[in-house]
Amino acid sequence: MQQLTKQKGQPFRKRRKGLTLRQQKARLGYFFISPFLLGFLLLFLTPIIQSFIYSLSDLTVTSSGYELNYVGFSNFNRVIRVDPNFTPALLQTVIQLISMVPVILIFSFFAATLINAKFKGRGFARSIFFLPVILTSGIILAMENSDLILSSAQVMAEEDMQNTSMQMMQFLQFRRLLFAINLPPFIVNFLVAAVDQIYDVVIASGVQILIFLAGLQSIPVTLYEASTIDGATAWENFWKITFPMTSPLIIVNAVYSVINTFTNPDNEMMSSIHYTIFSQSNFGVGSAMAWVYLAAVAIILAIMSVVLIKLVSRYQH
Amino acid sequence: MVSISKRRTPNRSRFGDLTNILVLIGFAAFMALPLVFAVNNAFKPLEELFQFPPRFLVRNPTLDNVRDLFALMNASWVPFTRYMFNTVFITLIGTVFHIIVASMAAYVLAKHQFPGKNLFFNIVIMALMFSPHVTAIPNYLIMSRLGWVDTYNALVVPAIAAPLGVFLMKQFMEQIPVSLLESARIDGANEFIVFFRVAMPLVKPAWLTLLIFSFQGLWNLDGGTFVYSEELKTLPTALQQIVATGFSRAGAASAIALFMMIVPLVVFIISQNNVIETMSTSGIKE
Repeated sequence: MQQLTKQKGQPFRKRRKGLTLRQQKARLGYFFISPFLLGFLLLFLTPIIQSFIYSLSDLTVTSSGYELNYVGFSNFNRVIRVDPNFTPALLQTVIQLISMVPVILIFSFFAATLINAKFKGRGFARSIFFLPVILTSGIILAMENSDLILSSAQVMAEEDMQNTSMQMMQFLQFRRLLFAINLPPFIVNFLVAAVDQIYDVVIASGVQILIFLAGLQSIPVTLYEASTIDGATAWENFWKITFPMTSPLIIVNAVYSVINTFTNPDNEMMSSIHYTIFSQSNFGVGSAMAWVYLAAVAIILAIMSVVLIKLVSRYQH
Repeated sequence: MVSISKRRTPNRSRFGDLTNILVLIGFAAFMALPLVFAVNNAFKPLEELFQFPPRFLVRNPTLDNVRDLFALMNASWVPFTRYMFNTVFITLIGTVFHIIVASMAAYVLAKHQFPGKNLFFNIVIMALMFSPHVTAIPNYLIMSRLGWVDTYNALVVPAIAAPLGVFLMKQFMEQIPVSLLESARIDGANEFIVFFRVAMPLVKPAWLTLLIFSFQGLWNLDGGTFVYSEELKTLPTALQQIVATGFSRAGAASAIALFMMIVPLVVFIISQNNVIETMSTSGIKE
């Protein structure tokens, strides 16, 4: 290294014609990234910047297109200070998300570890865990929702449930039991919410299971062989090999889960943004809402990544 | 010798195995129900489809729905195979190029140094978080300015440049040992060979997973807002048209819904069978 830096001295620099090694590498990097960059800047970044401009203006549709009048931050002001529904909806979405993401992570890691094991019918088991990914996407979901017979049956079932109220009773008792063993209310509510959302969690973890599975599949078998020969138990193998090797993916999956839950069209914020833009045709306010929402997500994501990176780096080496 | 090979792996309790299997069966049953329901629906005669309360299992299985579907296909404005071709074409092109483009970007983001790299990756993550409703209208304006409205481009190009793939692949690319890449370079490989022959095989599980996601997304792509010509519409759009005609088409709709589900499932099974344990750290002695 020292010799290399010496070569950078004055007499050599003038003689060189081509690019430096660093410039060559940078050029190579840009070259590899350029196809993606081009499409991304054009189709993803430009609309986002455009929406920021909308959020600062009052958009009116005219016969020849649309007109923008710059109104400064009044849209943001309206969203944060004036609109009585926005802040509660934002808080509720955030709280729901915070309770859901850890459960998704734990469940998907657990499921991925199980279906990565060698057993008969493994392919079958994996396909079953992949099903939610298929079922929750686009057209099939839309079809299920449009099924009149099914939805009326669901209404009937819900009424039945309310009549007997067995479900509620069980939950109340579960909660009382948890209080009885002196758990703080925060944890109790978290647990009850987790149990309540179990179907949502299972449905929402399809992609995460696959990502973890890909991570588990990338671990070389030789590591396990070596440690087992040295007398490690399966439990030790898990904490000393599996977990450290897949822990970077915990961050990936956490980020993915947050993004996925946040942009889920079912959640309250998304539907109110959709409503503001498409039903009230209030594009400026809708864009401002989206930007405030984005800021909230970004803050949560940043905090989460810092915490997770610290936790994960403890397990590395 | 036989007795040794039959012996259970040490440190594995029968109880643990049993719990694992029970838990798996529980969740599996939970997740498999919708598929079982769809399969049953596809073979239900019309009167069973409209039975109330609905029955889960089919009683008198029939192929009427499939026959209905074929009759409907022949009667449609554009040959039904055209919808099929559109979806298959978009899915194949989009998936293949998305994997290549995203992996190339992820490769340099993970393994190369160049100015602006971190900023760029952060922008990718931010773009992931942005709600699609807000960008819907600017998106359309850009498409129309590019002249891509009502072409395949409007459907395929956004899928190729989707940020999720880069985000996912970068993490896996980071786990590749640098020494393997360096040894390939010392042996005279140029960067493309290093990428295609060394890096990509090492992250095969990752891009097979990405293949599944991309395939799944494109297979269900309903190009509603961007494509108007009947001969460019995709299978999901055609399916929606069938469903929208109401009760009389319920049988055909349930048959085609099963078809829409089965294909990604088959792709998933094939790709999962192709995953073999990679050897990313073999051949390295530190």
